[in-house]
Amino acid sequence: MLPLTEQTFARVAATLPEWARPSAAAGYEAFSALPPPDPRQEEWRYVEVEVDLDSLQLAESPGPPLPPDVALIGALGEPAGHAINVDGHTVAVEAADGVRLTALGPALAADGETLRGVFRSGPGPRLDRFAAAHHAFATDGVFFHLPRGRRLSAPVLVEFQATRANSLALPRLTVLVEDGAAGALVLHYRSPSGVPLVAVPQVEVVVGQNARLEVSVIQEWGDATRAYAHQTMVAARDGALVLAEAGLGGVNARLHLRLDLEGPGADAQVLGAYFGHRRQTLDYRYYMLHRARHTTSNMYLKGAVGDTARSVFTGLIRIEPEGQDSDAMQTNKNLVLAEGAEAHSVPNLEILANEVRCGHGSTVSPLDPEQRYYLMSRGLDSARADRLQVKGFFEDVLARFPQAALEPLLRRSLVARYDGLQREQSR
Amino acid sequence: MSAALVVRGLQASLGDLAILKGVDLEVPYGEVHALMGPNGSGKSTLCHVLMGQPEYTASGSALVGGTEVLGLPVDARARAGLFLGFQYPVEVPGVTLRELLEEMGQAAGAGAGYWSTVEAAAERMALAPFLGRPVNEGLSGGEKKRSEMLQLLALRPRVAVLDEIDSGLDIDAVREVAAAVEAMRSPDLGVLLITHYSRILRYIAVDRVHVMAAGRVIRSGGKELAGALEAGGYDAMVREAEPAAPPAADDFLQGL
Repeated sequence: MLPLTEQTFARVAATLPEWARPSAAAGYEAFSALPPPDPRQEEWRYVEVEVDLDSLQLAESPGPPLPPDVALIGALGEPAGHAINVDGHTVAVEAADGVRLTALGPALAADGETLRGVFRSGPGPRLDRFAAAHHAFATDGVFFHLPRGRRLSAPVLVEFQATRANSLALPRLTVLVEDGAAGALVLHYRSPSGVPLVAVPQVEVVVGQNARLEVSVIQEWGDATRAYAHQTMVAARDGALVLAEAGLGGVNARLHLRLDLEGPGADAQVLGAYFGHRRQTLDYRYYMLHRARHTTSNMYLKGAVGDTARSVFTGLIRIEPEGQDSDAMQTNKNLVLAEGAEAHSVPNLEILANEVRCGHGSTVSPLDPEQRYYLMSRGLDSARADRLQVKGFFEDVLARFPQAALEPLLRRSLVARYDGLQREQSR
Repeated sequence: MSAALVVRGLQASLGDLAILKGVDLEVPYGEVHALMGPNGSGKSTLCHVLMGQPEYTASGSALVGGTEVLGLPVDARARAGLFLGFQYPVEVPGVTLRELLEEMGQAAGAGAGYWSTVEAAAERMALAPFLGRPVNEGLSGGEKKRSEMLQLLALRPRVAVLDEIDSGLDIDAVREVAAAVEAMRSPDLGVLLITHYSRILRYIAVDRVHVMAAGRVIRSGGKELAGALEAGGYDAMVREAEPAAPPAADDFLQGL
């Protein structure tokens, strides 16, 4: 295990190509200078971070991979590729012929020119101290590249696992989808239960003109993992981004997401289904930036919280002066299933153009007593009635997830989460 | 054999507002009864008090197939054999009619033949295309009522209370619903039709008619009672039954 010191940073930076070193240096500088997250900052409101970053260490070598998730792999049929990163180290990559899915370290060495415009183009080192640590100390990750015009019918599966106690895992996913290309990616986050660790994954996606990428994230970190993920997705003219996240794991799991609609006609669809239990905090900070004409976006997230869990959604749609004729919508609906649970939903709009359509809606409510009464009048006891209502609540968002093959799996996980809530607290 | 439904001295209130003031009613097995009354007389309240909607406080007695249901949870009343067809069936987003019917079968511990019976009934009632759609979402008034009838058939209750089964329906749909009620008639079932208008009674041979006003059943009689109502209206019958009865509005004021 390596401590988060200047010496470790120097070792890590030496493995990067010359052109990437300044970003690592900026990371280390920010890591040394930035204060820890403070709940008084809007960015960290509602969240207790309780992480002493400086006490964590990097895994010098990966632990053994977790057992394969047979159900997930089965649902995906034959993925076009499969990469596994454990404790920050990419340990296995398989890809069908002609599919460019590789470990990031070797790709940087072999194909620096292709990566140059993408690698570390995403979340910056000064975003917060977690991002700074990632830039300073991350060594490896996965690179997925769809060259111009390449269209994949099957998705690739990328697994980010963390296994070592008291470690800081820093996996990175870099995705380049060139003009006219299209593909889909499933990103699965996992760690064993009961192992305290921190994960700071970063994902950067660059989508070219008339290109399309669908990303499905299945967040199933273990119950002692604190995860602070940063993800950026950028689309050029008429490019299309889809991000769907199912949030289930972690004691404290954040997804900081920024989507840049940079080219005219670019479109983003963001979907989310999350379900917190026990003392989890599921924390979403989503930023949708319309920076060109005729850009369109739709965010649709649904979440439930039980036991003493907490969820946070803060969403911002920002339409720049260049974003005339844009159309943006943001919806967040929450079910609160126990008195000790809370859901915070804070949608925001910043509109700097005058010819736009833009809207947002957010709800936080308990289960509907009318539905419960109706279902019980058909002989269903209250537990069965509520379970059906919870299942129904998530149905429309699951139906919009891009990988239809994942739908039954995710539905099962969400309903199982409801079944596992402490009975005496649910109502 | 006792009657399918026996209601004695049923009182119910919503907060401080007394709505039912001692309802007595009996529906024997094999019979179809109509319960009529003006708006605000307590017909719908009676339905929901029998079913056990939690907002009401009730006292008295309601026996379903000999089981006292007052005090039981809603689902236990359904299992005792009570079915309520809702005037406004509730939409259940994201849950298909098929899923609901399957859950109902499981909750009732239904046997192996359950699903084929339900499917055949859905076919017969032209509801097969609705099995895969969310419960009551985007259905017309008539479709909702048919969906309620399908659920009734699936549950095979002892007592079916059908709340305003004919409201908001065009004449063809009323005929359809009436035919469905006639088809249900069986020695194991008592039916109580709640209706504001006598229209549906032209198509159903009801055994008895009860008239409700101000929280009580004020008259019971044969089918001719519906004819008398049609001719004279509710007001005349209410005045005749209780000349000294205060106007219904007073109860409302007292409740404030």
